[in-house]
Amino acid sequence: MASLLRPSLLRQGPAVAAPSSRFLSTVTRQTALRPGALAASWQKPTTTTQRVAAFHATQRQQILPPLPQKIQGTANDPVPVPAPEYVHGSYHWTFERLVATGLIPLTIAPFAAGSLNPLTDSILCALLVIHSHTGFESCIIDYFPKNRVPKTRAAAMWALRIATVTLGVALYSFETNDVGITEAVSRLWHA
Amino acid sequence: MASQRVFQVGLRRAGVPMFSRMQPAGRIAQRRFAATQHVEESEGQEILRKQRLQRPVSPHLSIYRPQITWYGSALNRVTGIMLSGSLYLFGIAYLAAPAMGWHLETPSMVAAVAAWPVFAKVGAKVALAFPFFYHSLNGLRHLSWDLGLGFKNTTVMRTGWAVVATSVVAGLYYTFLG
Amino acid sequence: MASTRALARLATRRTAVVRPAVSSFSRGLASVTDTHAREPVSKVAEKIVPDRAAEVVPESKTSTVREPTPGKDAKIKTFHIYRWNPDEPSAKPRMQTYTLDLNKTGPMMLDALIRIKNEVDPTLTFRRSCREGICGSCAMNIDGVNTLACLCRIPTDTSKESRIYPLPHMYVVKDLVPDMTLFYKQYRSIKPYLQRETPAPDGREYRQSKADRKKLDGLYECILCACCSTSCPSYWWNQEEYLGPAVLLQSYRWIADSRDEKKAERQDALNNSMSLYRCHTIMNCSRTCPKGLNPGLAIAEIKKSMAFA
Repeated sequence: MASLLRPSLLRQGPAVAAPSSRFLSTVTRQTALRPGALAASWQKPTTTTQRVAAFHATQRQQILPPLPQKIQGTANDPVPVPAPEYVHGSYHWTFERLVATGLIPLTIAPFAAGSLNPLTDSILCALLVIHSHTGFESCIIDYFPKNRVPKTRAAAMWALRIATVTLGVALYSFETNDVGITEAVSRLWHA
Repeated sequence: MASQRVFQVGLRRAGVPMFSRMQPAGRIAQRRFAATQHVEESEGQEILRKQRLQRPVSPHLSIYRPQITWYGSALNRVTGIMLSGSLYLFGIAYLAAPAMGWHLETPSMVAAVAAWPVFAKVGAKVALAFPFFYHSLNGLRHLSWDLGLGFKNTTVMRTGWAVVATSVVAGLYYTFLG
Repeated sequence: MASTRALARLATRRTAVVRPAVSSFSRGLASVTDTHAREPVSKVAEKIVPDRAAEVVPESKTSTVREPTPGKDAKIKTFHIYRWNPDEPSAKPRMQTYTLDLNKTGPMMLDALIRIKNEVDPTLTFRRSCREGICGSCAMNIDGVNTLACLCRIPTDTSKESRIYPLPHMYVVKDLVPDMTLFYKQYRSIKPYLQRETPAPDGREYRQSKADRKKLDGLYECILCACCSTSCPSYWWNQEEYLGPAVLLQSYRWIADSRDEKKAERQDALNNSMSLYRCHTIMNCSRTCPKGLNPGLAIAEIKKSMAFA
C-alpha cells in the first residue's frame, strides 16, 4: 500500500512494472536463502552462473595493474603521516621553481640575440641539466611507486643519476671544446 | 528459515487482539525473504578482508572525458620527456663519439644535416619546435599557477588552448620561416 | 499530463544554470569498449597504461533491460551502467544497458537511477541520500566526468547514450559503489578539527575577524564527495601516498583558519615528496567539482605558504 503512494509510481499511472521483470539482470542462482551462503559465496567461485567469455582475442599485457585492495588498520585509524622531509618537500619544490624561472630569460635571449655568450650559455646548460633531472625524477616517482616496484624504482633512479652525470660531463666538454649549445642549435637549424 | 519466519509472523498476527487488526493495511508486516546470520566482529573483519582482495578497480584512463586540463598536462610531460630525452641522448652520444668514431662536432653535424632531404629537415624541425614551444609556454602557465594566478576554470581552459594554438603557430613559423 | 511536463521542462531548461564545467571542448566521451567510438589519443594512452577497464564486458555483449511499458510518444534514452556483483567475484565487470522513457523520469541522473532500481532492476546498487547535492553520496562518473548524480541533468538528446561508471580508479564494492575507506582514513590523518591550546581571552567562543572568516569561503563548503580526488591522474597512480585534492583542500581549510594554532605542524605533515607534492596542477579537480570549489587553488596556496617558510 505504502509503495503505491510513492510519487514515482503514481506518476506512472497504470504503467507499473510487471513483477516478473524484476529479476532480469543479475539472477544469482544461490540467492542467500540457505544459511552459510553469505559466508561461502566468495570463497568458492560460483559455477552455476556462467558469464560471457573473454572479449579480447589477444591477452593484453598490463603495465603495473593495481594490486588487490588492502587496508591497513581499521576504518577509524588515520593513514600514517610521514615524517617531514624538507629536502624532498618544500625545498625541492622551491628549487625547481627557481630553476624554471631562471630558464625563462635564458630561453628568450637567444631568440633576441641569435646566440649567447659562453658564460650565459653554460648557465643555460647547467639549468637545463637540473631541470631535466628533476623532471625525469618526478616521472619515476609518479610511475614507479616505491612500495610497489622497489627494485625497478631504485634501478631507474640510479640510471637517471648516472645519465645526468654523463650529460653534465658531456655538456661541459661541449661548452669548452665546441661552439656552445645555443650557437650549435642555431647553426643546425639553419643548415 | 524463511518459512519459519512466515510462520512466526502468522502466529504473531493471530495472537494479537481484535482492535489492532482493524488498523490500516499499511500495518501489514513487509516480509523479507533473506536470511541473516550472526558473525563475530573479528570474523566479519576477516570476511571483509577477503572480499576486498576480490574487488575490481573501476575504469579510469579510458573512460574519463578528454579535457584540456589533463590532456594538456600529459602533453606537457610528454613534450618534456621528448626534449630532455633528446638532450640526454645527444650528451651520451657526444661523450661516446671519440670511442665510436662518430663525428658530433658542430661543423660536421651541420654538414651532415645540410645534406639531408627537405622533408627530413622539416620533420626534424617540427618534431623539436612544437614540443619546445609547448613545454616552454605551458611552463609559464605553471609558474603563474605557482603564484596562485589564473585558477578560474574558464581561465584554465582558455590559457590551455591558447598555449596549444601559440605553440602550433610558433612551431610552424620556426620550421618554415625562422 | 505529458504535455504539461514538457512545457515545464522547456521552462526550466531556459532558466537552468549552465554548469561551469560545460566547455567549448565538448566531445563524445571515451568509452571503454567500443573501439570505433574511441578517439586515437585515448587509445594511445591506453596502450601506454592499459587498465582494468579493458576487462569490462561491453554493453554489446550483455542484455538490454527495456522500459517496462513505453508509451506512444515515449522519449527513450539509453543508459549504459557499470555492473559488478561481489557475490560472483570471478565474473568480470560488465556494462548493462537500460532504456528509460524520459517523459516518465525525473530530470536528474539520480531520478533515472532510482527509477531503474524501483521499476526495472532492483539489483542495481548505488549510494544516494539527500538528492540535493549536500551529502555527496551519489558521486559517480557520468558521461566521462565525475559529478553528483543528483545535480547532473539527463541530457535530453535521446540519440546520445549515457554512460555511468563508479568513481574512477577506486575499488568497487558493488556496481556504482566504490570503497571510500582509504579516502576517509586520509581525511582523518589531516586532523580535520580545530587545534588550539590558548583559551579565548574573554572565556567565550574563539572569534575571528570578518576578513579571516572570508578566507574560509570556498573551503568549508566541501562535502567530501571525492569527485575531485578520483578525477586526478596523480591520485589514480599514487593513491596510497598522495592525499588527493579533496583532503588537501580540507587540510588548507584548517591551515587557513585564523583560530587554529597548529599551522606549522599541519604544514610539516604535508612536507614530503608524496603527500602534497604529487600535485602537478593538472586541474581536473577544479574542473569537475560539483560544488564549484577550487581544490587546485587551495593546493597552490598550501605550496605557496610552504615555499619560503
